[in-house]
Amino acid sequence: MGPMKQPTVAPDVERESDIHEVVEADRPWLVIVWNDPINLMTYVTYVFQKLFGYPYEKAHKLMLDVHYKGKAVVSSGPREKAEMDCFRLHGYGLWATLSKSE
Amino acid sequence: MSDIPLRLNATEAGILRDLVEQMRALVKETDATDAVRARLFPDAYEDAEDSEAYRDLTGGDLSAAKLEALDRVAESLGNGGPTKAHLAEEDAEAWVRTLTDMRLAIGTRLEVTEATMNLEPDPDDPAFAPLHTLHWLGWLQEQILERMVP
Repeated sequence: MGPMKQPTVAPDVERESDIHEVVEADRPWLVIVWNDPINLMTYVTYVFQKLFGYPYEKAHKLMLDVHYKGKAVVSSGPREKAEMDCFRLHGYGLWATLSKSE
Repeated sequence: MSDIPLRLNATEAGILRDLVEQMRALVKETDATDAVRARLFPDAYEDAEDSEAYRDLTGGDLSAAKLEALDRVAESLGNGGPTKAHLAEEDAEAWVRTLTDMRLAIGTRLEVTEATMNLEPDPDDPAFAPLHTLHWLGWLQEQILERMVP
């Protein structure tokens, strides 16, 4: 840890914009799986267990969300991790996309 | 997981060998406008440029993974006649992924919907044969999945 900075009293425009960027970068990316009429429910549940290590109950619940609500957020995190998860889902034939959380 | 015994008669094995060949051609195809291609290599982002960049980065690995799985399936199927194989964990994994890709390809080509999928295929429908295959591949996939441990 470096020395503590002297507190500044006057508002610093530049620093505020830095903070804004940090907050922006911290907003996680969401990995969304969309419903499709072809993949079987048992298979989709299996994939969520296999790829994310989710217990059966959680994987099954996510699969039902995908099926009945049309989509579900199945994982989230920094962009690189989210892209890797999306890639793995595509490897299993699931229809996955990425978007920044609101 | 203990090995999964797989028995297919000559007709079933023949259908699968044929599908493996068709899938190899599909995975190597580069026509971006093809709906099946788009389903097997989906857009990762809403933004077209982001999707393109993502595809440039990952598309090659995704093709390679699909081709590798197809090779494993082809190996279990053998060269001709009926199939009598034992699927180790990695084989079973390749099988369920490949069966998924085959189902996605057939289903996307037929433009199936939830409603179509819930109906018993009608023998008078020109799409009867591929629909029947689609359901059979799903049945086979579930037989394998039941014996797999996630």
